[in-house]
Amino acid sequence: MDEIASEMLRRMAQQAGLDLNDGELQRLLPAVNRAKKQAAELRDLIAASDEPAAAFMASNTRRN
Amino acid sequence: MEPNEICYLTIGGAAEALRRGEFSGVELTQALLQRIQTIDSKLHCFITLTADLALQQAQEADKALRSGNDRGPLHGIPVALKDLYATRGIRTTCHSAVLENCVPDYDATAVTKLRQAGTILLGKLGMHEFAFGGPSTDAPFPAVRNPWNTEHIPGGSSSGSGAALAAGFCYGALGSDTGGSIRTPSSRCGIVGIKPTYGRVSRYGVVPLSWSLDHAGPMARNVEDCAILLQAIAGYDGRDPASADVAVPDFRSELKTGIEGLRVGVPRAHWFEEKLGIDPETEKVFNAALEVLKKLGASIIEIDGRPFALARKANQTILICEAYAYHERTFQKTPMKFGTSVRRRVLEGAFLSAADYIAAQRARTALSAQICENFTRVDVFAVPGAPRPPEAFARLDPNEQNLRPNFTNPFNLTGLPAISVPCGFTPGNLPAGLQIAAPPYGECTCFRVAYAYEQATAWHDQRPAL
Repeated sequence: MDEIASEMLRRMAQQAGLDLNDGELQRLLPAVNRAKKQAAELRDLIAASDEPAAAFMASNTRRN
Repeated sequence: MEPNEICYLTIGGAAEALRRGEFSGVELTQALLQRIQTIDSKLHCFITLTADLALQQAQEADKALRSGNDRGPLHGIPVALKDLYATRGIRTTCHSAVLENCVPDYDATAVTKLRQAGTILLGKLGMHEFAFGGPSTDAPFPAVRNPWNTEHIPGGSSSGSGAALAAGFCYGALGSDTGGSIRTPSSRCGIVGIKPTYGRVSRYGVVPLSWSLDHAGPMARNVEDCAILLQAIAGYDGRDPASADVAVPDFRSELKTGIEGLRVGVPRAHWFEEKLGIDPETEKVFNAALEVLKKLGASIIEIDGRPFALARKANQTILICEAYAYHERTFQKTPMKFGTSVRRRVLEGAFLSAADYIAAQRARTALSAQICENFTRVDVFAVPGAPRPPEAFARLDPNEQNLRPNFTNPFNLTGLPAISVPCGFTPGNLPAGLQIAAPPYGECTCFRVAYAYEQATAWHDQRPAL
């Protein structure tokens, strides 16, 4: 998996509606790349039959 | 009895003394308020002290007891709440400028249940901002300090709950736990805290960090007190979509039955040495605790720690995605209202994809199965409450949680009940905890093992010098 570069992170932030300055983006960059790498590694743990743990229940229709 | 002795009574001891007429609920409350007002300027446990309300509730509790209307073991017992439990008419800040002036018009279910049990509310406790990141130095309220050494952190995110109990400011407290936020401060402050099974205690009215990982639970100074508090707040609640409609047992029923023949699984291999590994002094304290369990009749069985180590990746991915989803609008409109620590952590979630989140939820299914398969050959898991002693504020590393094994978050991912009980001190005289996790809805087993250990040792009787 390719690492996210500074400029890409800036564009992603803009698309997400986030107004982050250069300093904040620079501080975030290593943490975001670590989080992306970690999430990518999760794919190796999954079998095709594994469904997400959070499941919808049709009977649960209540809102607070 | 000296005022400071009153402040360190157990819930059971205070309840008996109230009924014997040794002192009233008002006197009990006044003793605690006096201690808080004298000492809390050093610790910053309380964000909001509800002294007038507490004294009024204490008068009502005394009156009810005198007239024979006894609500049970928590009647007249002063408690405090992590400041993310909604309290009607009382500010609920999450230790954040975002909610600095938020006053809910309803109570969280756990708060309602504690009130119905006759408790007295002393106030709302400091925490890590929105239960995430680390101690905030730029929040509107000061960071909570560790009563054992105020230069050190108390662990979090239920930092005020852990520190207030260790300091003798209350008899019980509520915390919340998404990756270890009840058990870590319990371990680091030398008190007892349990994260119940996911669904056991209603999350209604608890400000979310990560819906699918959040657990509400009690903290206290000993195991039996913790069981008494859990008894009061457990149970099905239709207002929490994750609430489990299962019977609530008597959590004290197995307390004194011992652990002869118990099989204790220790997932050491491939986990304890992860990254920088466990602090050697902490491991020494943990190994000594295992020896105590052995002397009490348990057998220690080493098991594969790999799925426990991998749980961190899934837990963290789910957590930051859900946390960002909850706070997205605020981050778009007023990002600078968040403190530096929580802003840095939550924002990571803005850059993960839907597929990343789903992969983590699928990995959760796989890892939960692998971890729980162990229950065919062991009855409980034992691990340290934290991988190292609490850091000094001056040497805090924002990346610390990624440098060592995380002994708490596998039990959020799996939803298993897990308790932390004091098990000694590391050389700097900072407390360490022994963590016991059991199969789903096995809180009675957690309490039984923790109680047996507690009764065989004296760590829970130690008090910080304040």
